[in-house]
Parts: sequence; C-alpha cells; structure tokens
Amino acid sequence: MSDFLQFVVAGLSAGAVYALVAMGFVAIFSVSGVINLAQGEFAAIAGLSALSFTDAGVPLPVAMLLALLVVAVVAVLMQRLAIAPVRRMTTLVSIILTLGVSTALKALLLLIYGPQGRGLAPLPGSDLVIGGVSVRAQELWILGITAVVAVAVAVFYDRTVLGKALRACAEQPVAARLVGISPKAAATVAFAVAGLLGAVAGVLASPIQLTQWDSGLLLGLKGFVAATLGGLVSIRGAVLGGLVLGVLESLTAGYVDSGYRDAVAFVLLIVVLVARPGGVFGRHAEARV
Amino acid sequence: MSAEQGVEAVDLQAGYGRIEVLRGISVAAAPGEVVAVVGANGAGKSTLLRALSGLIAPTAGRVRLGGADVTGRGPEAIAAAGLAHVPENRLVFPTLTVDDNLTLGAWTRRRDKAGLRERRERVLEYFPRLADRLAQAAGTLSGGEQQMLSIGRGLMARPSVLVLDEPSLGLAPRVVREIFATLGRLRTEEGLAIVLVEQNVRAAFKVADRATVLDRGRVLLEGVPKDLLGDDRVQQAYLGGGYAVS
Repeated sequence: MSDFLQFVVAGLSAGAVYALVAMGFVAIFSVSGVINLAQGEFAAIAGLSALSFTDAGVPLPVAMLLALLVVAVVAVLMQRLAIAPVRRMTTLVSIILTLGVSTALKALLLLIYGPQGRGLAPLPGSDLVIGGVSVRAQELWILGITAVVAVAVAVFYDRTVLGKALRACAEQPVAARLVGISPKAAATVAFAVAGLLGAVAGVLASPIQLTQWDSGLLLGLKGFVAATLGGLVSIRGAVLGGLVLGVLESLTAGYVDSGYRDAVAFVLLIVVLVARPGGVFGRHAEARV
Repeated sequence: MSAEQGVEAVDLQAGYGRIEVLRGISVAAAPGEVVAVVGANGAGKSTLLRALSGLIAPTAGRVRLGGADVTGRGPEAIAAAGLAHVPENRLVFPTLTVDDNLTLGAWTRRRDKAGLRERRERVLEYFPRLADRLAQAAGTLSGGEQQMLSIGRGLMARPSVLVLDEPSLGLAPRVVREIFATLGRLRTEEGLAIVLVEQNVRAAFKVADRATVLDRGRVLLEGVPKDLLGDDRVQQAYLGGGYAVS
C-alpha cells in the first residue's frame, strides 16, 4: 500500500509539470487553432536560462522569475515572427511551422549550453516522510505552485475582461473581430501566457529531471498528450490530463517496468484519439478554456 | 439622402477570391434612418455588410463612415470608428454569460467604466428580457433572446451606425415584431443609421424608411417601401408566395 502511495505521489508531481505544459497548449490552441510543438522548448529555455542566472550569482527565486520573463519574450517573438506572418494558418501548417521553430530552438540551445544536462538547485525545505511515503520538498513545491498557477489561469479566463476576450476569440472569432478584439493581439497574449506556463514547468522540473538542450522534446510531447486528454480546449481538462498521465506513468514504471514509462503517454494518446477524439474530460463544446 | 454622418457605400465591389459578388453597389443610411436591403439568396446582401464592416476588403469603391473614408480598414478599426455589425446567426459567445457578452461588446470603449454601466442600463431598457438572464450562459438563450443579445452587444460600443444581417432568421413572428419595433426605437431615440438586410421583406419594409433591392450584385430598385411593394418585380420575386403577413 505504501508502495502504491509512493508511486502516486511521485506521479502527481511529474503530472503537475505535464499539466503546466498542457495548459500552455490549450492557451494557444483555443485562441488561434495553432498546435505549438515548441511548447516543450519553453520549459527547456526556462530551465537553462535560470541556470545561467544562478551561475551569475542571482538568487534562485529571482533567477526563476527572470527565466519566466525571458521565455515570455521568446514566446511573443515566436508568435510575431513565425506565426503572425502566415496568411492562412491551419492546424496542419501550424504543426509543421512550430516543429521547425522547435528544432531551431533546440539547435540554438545546444550551441549555447552544450549537450550536458544540469539541474537547478531545489527550492528550500526539508523532505518529509508521511505514513511511510517520502515526499521531497521540491515535489511539494511543484504541487503547490502548480495548484496556484492553475487557479490563477482559471481566474484569468473566468473573471478578467482580457481572459474573457480571449475566450470570445476562441468561441466566435468573427464576432470577436466585429466587437473590435484583434485576433493578432489575442494570439500574442495567448503565446505570452503559454510561454509563462511552459517556463514555470521548466524551472520547477529542473531540480528533479535535469535540464538539457533537448529536454523539451519529451516534456512537450507528454504535455500535448495531457492536453489532448482534455480535448485541447479545456484548462481543467489539461490539468486533469497531466495528473492522470503522471500517475499512470509512475504506476507503470513501479509495477511493470520502468522502461515502459515513456510508452504510457503514447499508448494513451492512441487510445484517446481513437475512442474519444473530443477529449476524455468534459463535453467538448462546454469545455473551451 | 446624403449620409455625411451615417454610412455610405459608393460603387462598392467585393467578393471572395476570384468570385465577384458585389458589382458596384451604392447604398447609404443617414442618422435616424432605417434602410432595408432585400434580395434573393446570393444577391450579395451579407457580402455588402461584410464589406461595410471590414470583414472583407472591397476590390473597388469607397466606404464612408461618419464622413470619414474607412475603405480597406479592418473590422477592429471600423468597429472603433462607430459601426456595429450584428452578424448572421447572431454569433453570441456561447459559454460566456449574457453580462460578459455585453461587456465585450464595449471592448473598443473598455476603459470608460462609468460609460459602460450607463450603456448597459440603456441596452437592458431596450431589451428587458436580457435583464433576467444576465448570469446565464449566452448559448442557453432562445433564438430570439440570442438575437436581442447580439444587437445589444453591438449597441454597447455606442455606435453611430448599426448594420444587421437577417435578424429575423428562424424567429417566431411575434419575436420578429418585438425586435423590429426596438429597431424603430433605436432609430428615433438614438438617432442611429441602420442598414437592415432581410429575407423577411414585409417585416423589413414595415420599419424601413427607404429600401434597396439587390439582384446578382447590383442595385435593382431603390425607393420608399410603400412604392416598392407596389412594384410588380418586387411582388413577384419576394412577395408572391405564401408569406405570412406579420
């Protein structure tokens, strides 16, 4: 039993990171129909640039915040330079385009940081043992910060006028333009939000999973699977999808074979796309953002 | 006839890709005037409104709004310049509440919080049915209420020009009467210039001051509804069948 709980706790903290990445996919896709395959790179850039800042003597929390800022700027630049100029964006075009951006970003990271992986120092606090289950302080930080971020994102979309304007663009793009909401401005805000979310995932995961030039690849794909579980348009679905994926991976690695861990996401993706392409959690039409 | 302060299309041409839909249309609505635009399917009614509001760029001709030339500007700019386009099929924001739909209608004036509240009161006066539904998701409203919300959303920006695309579509005659009566009030009380595209010719002609009949991208007839109703071509084309007189 305590084994099981141990796997679940480890799975939840890994899943929280997927949930953050998944929310980024949803933020962009729901507003602009773009599937951003560079979402994982946002996390890698955040981890690596936070490492650069701490190397330069910047205190850890400040370095993390600066990394968020760097990634938000990268995300907005990406939207402006690579996405906005495309006249007729379709989801397929967006996949090819963002795959290119993702590859270019990875190459750039390899040039700057080299191939070795490094971990950011963990956030302060002592590890706990509750009922035979050991919980690392960093895992508690991950769960806590993810919870706060998820609530903040939900409040942003449900309560603020800007968040509602983004939902309006997602639901009725023509009507949104007619009331004066610019789809390009909306897409820029969506990319900034997605950049911030990916960056939070990157700085939180770095102490546990290490960050290197290509660590965005697997993280991005798993975030995508998590977002797909929620139908790609639901923030709540993305959070739930991330947590479920994390726990399933952890249980598979624990009870079956740790070699199968990374296969879980893709088996799940195939099952979902065949059985429930609209997402597992919630009804498609109601679930938008 | 002059639309110095209203909206005016001069010799407007527009279409989709290589398909030319408007082949030189001139229509104008002055403040305090309802102009009905009628015509068969494919005559170019909706395309005319899309060209007025900037959803599609005209290939030739001019669009003037409040005396200023807005030809070729995007819908966001034209909305900010005072034209509200109430689109076909209402297109309310379905998961947002009625109240949020109205708030977003004032997007171009979102910094004026006091004006927003006042405007909302005014819109709810015109459409009291919406007042009971403010907290409800717009997608759960009846068709008539969604149409009222779509018009109300347009009014939130304090437009000087209101253009409507088939507001009567799919609605019961009683609801159509209610909505068209409100359009009449908006003309007189707000001094709006209103362009009303309709298939329901009888209902549109009741409220309209002037009317334009489109045919395959050109203006076929223009005049006062009363005279047009007597015209054989209009009779045959639009009023010949078993239209319910509303």
